Amino acid sequence: MIVKEWCMYCGECAGVCPRNLIEVRELTLKFNEDQCKECSLCIQVCPVKALEEDK
Amino acid sequence: MLIETDILVIGAGPAGSTAAKHAAQGGAGVLMMDKKSEIGAPKRCAEGVSNGGLESLGIEKNPRWITKELDGVRLISPNRTDVWLTSDKIDLPETGCILERKVFDKYMTMDAARAGAQIKIKTLATGMEKTDDGYLVSAESMGESFQIKAKIVIAADGPESRVARWGGLNTTAKPKDMESAAQFEMAGVEMENNNCIEFYFGSVAPGGYAWIFPKGDDIANVGLGILATKTDKTAYEHLLEFVAKNPATQNAQPVELNIGGDPVGGMPKKLVDDNLMVIGDAAGQVNPLTGGGIISGMTGGMIAGKLAAEAISEGDLSRKKLKKYEDECQEAIGKSINKYLKVKDYMLTLNDGELDSIAEAFQDVEFEKVSTTELVQKLVKVSPKALLKLGKLF
Repeated sequence: MIVKEWCMYCGECAGVCPRNLIEVRELTLKFNEDQCKECSLCIQVCPVKALEEDK
Repeated sequence: MLIETDILVIGAGPAGSTAAKHAAQGGAGVLMMDKKSEIGAPKRCAEGVSNGGLESLGIEKNPRWITKELDGVRLISPNRTDVWLTSDKIDLPETGCILERKVFDKYMTMDAARAGAQIKIKTLATGMEKTDDGYLVSAESMGESFQIKAKIVIAADGPESRVARWGGLNTTAKPKDMESAAQFEMAGVEMENNNCIEFYFGSVAPGGYAWIFPKGDDIANVGLGILATKTDKTAYEHLLEFVAKNPATQNAQPVELNIGGDPVGGMPKKLVDDNLMVIGDAAGQVNPLTGGGIISGMTGGMIAGKLAAEAISEGDLSRKKLKKYEDECQEAIGKSINKYLKVKDYMLTLNDGELDSIAEAFQDVEFEKVSTTELVQKLVKVSPKALLKLGKLF
């Protein structure tokens, strides 16, 4: 996952991640990419379009 | 390093702090941690609370964290028909106030500390595992890793709700149940009445609503919540449009941007397990219609904190013992959340034209109270469709 520099670490993505794979720190966002099934829900709910699939 | 505690509260928002305070007052050893370096900041909230709600929690108002006493509500339909509910027209104004969350949240945490809770800030929970007599939580703070052994974990980690899920509770919110919100705090806002909170309905905020909550003469929180399932634009893009088009904000300037998720799907059935409780936004303790969750989350926190202390003193940390929290929550906030879920679902079916008609019909209605319940009761009177869907509930 590409996290854009304007991410505000609100954690909405983590809340909808069905596999609980997103760790939100104060100024970083860490995805457990190994277990990600690319459902894209995190990208869909982001209030500021800060997430982009890493293709 | 291993720290031991009776009760570990993860997340020091209003719900977490309330739980920590009541657990400590009940005689339990309490540790509360929050990942942020400053409790209460950044706010993820429009900051409105009801006066009755604060009272029910035994919290005395403090001018340090109140920015505005409210006099009423203004509802605005898509064609700008407005409905006023203000104290000059209404006999029983049960109104509220606008907080300064950055100060309020800190004061609530300070109350928890004064009650005896230990507080760790800039401390992140990174995982947890079940033990025979509780949980072993892994944490990190300022580059240092350590573990905390707790008899009861109270998960208060907000809409992310990761902690309860580590413990096996299903608190994941579906996108259709997660409002995506964006808000500016602005100066130079020109409201028609800066003692009223304003709600804007319709396609201005698909799946939610827009708001202007006054915090001073010309200062206000201007925001909106949308459902990502109802629009291709982001909450932020909708906010920019709203601000540009609204007469009150056209000349205003932002001084702060807030974003975040608000779980509006109601509470999951299971809020506790052996040695584990979940409260606040993490537990969906939010009015699904308004998105308001400060008072309901703190109510959940109060019930959980008191019961957790009782469980510790009795030495019974089983799901059976802690289940009393689920039952009391259902009674105190769950029933109301379930009713408003129905109203929210009904509101989602209305198009701009139907919302305009309701606002028109409201022109001749005499409201007796300033409250959400009163609004829905009157809605049922003016709209046959609403009567059909909601008549039995309100």
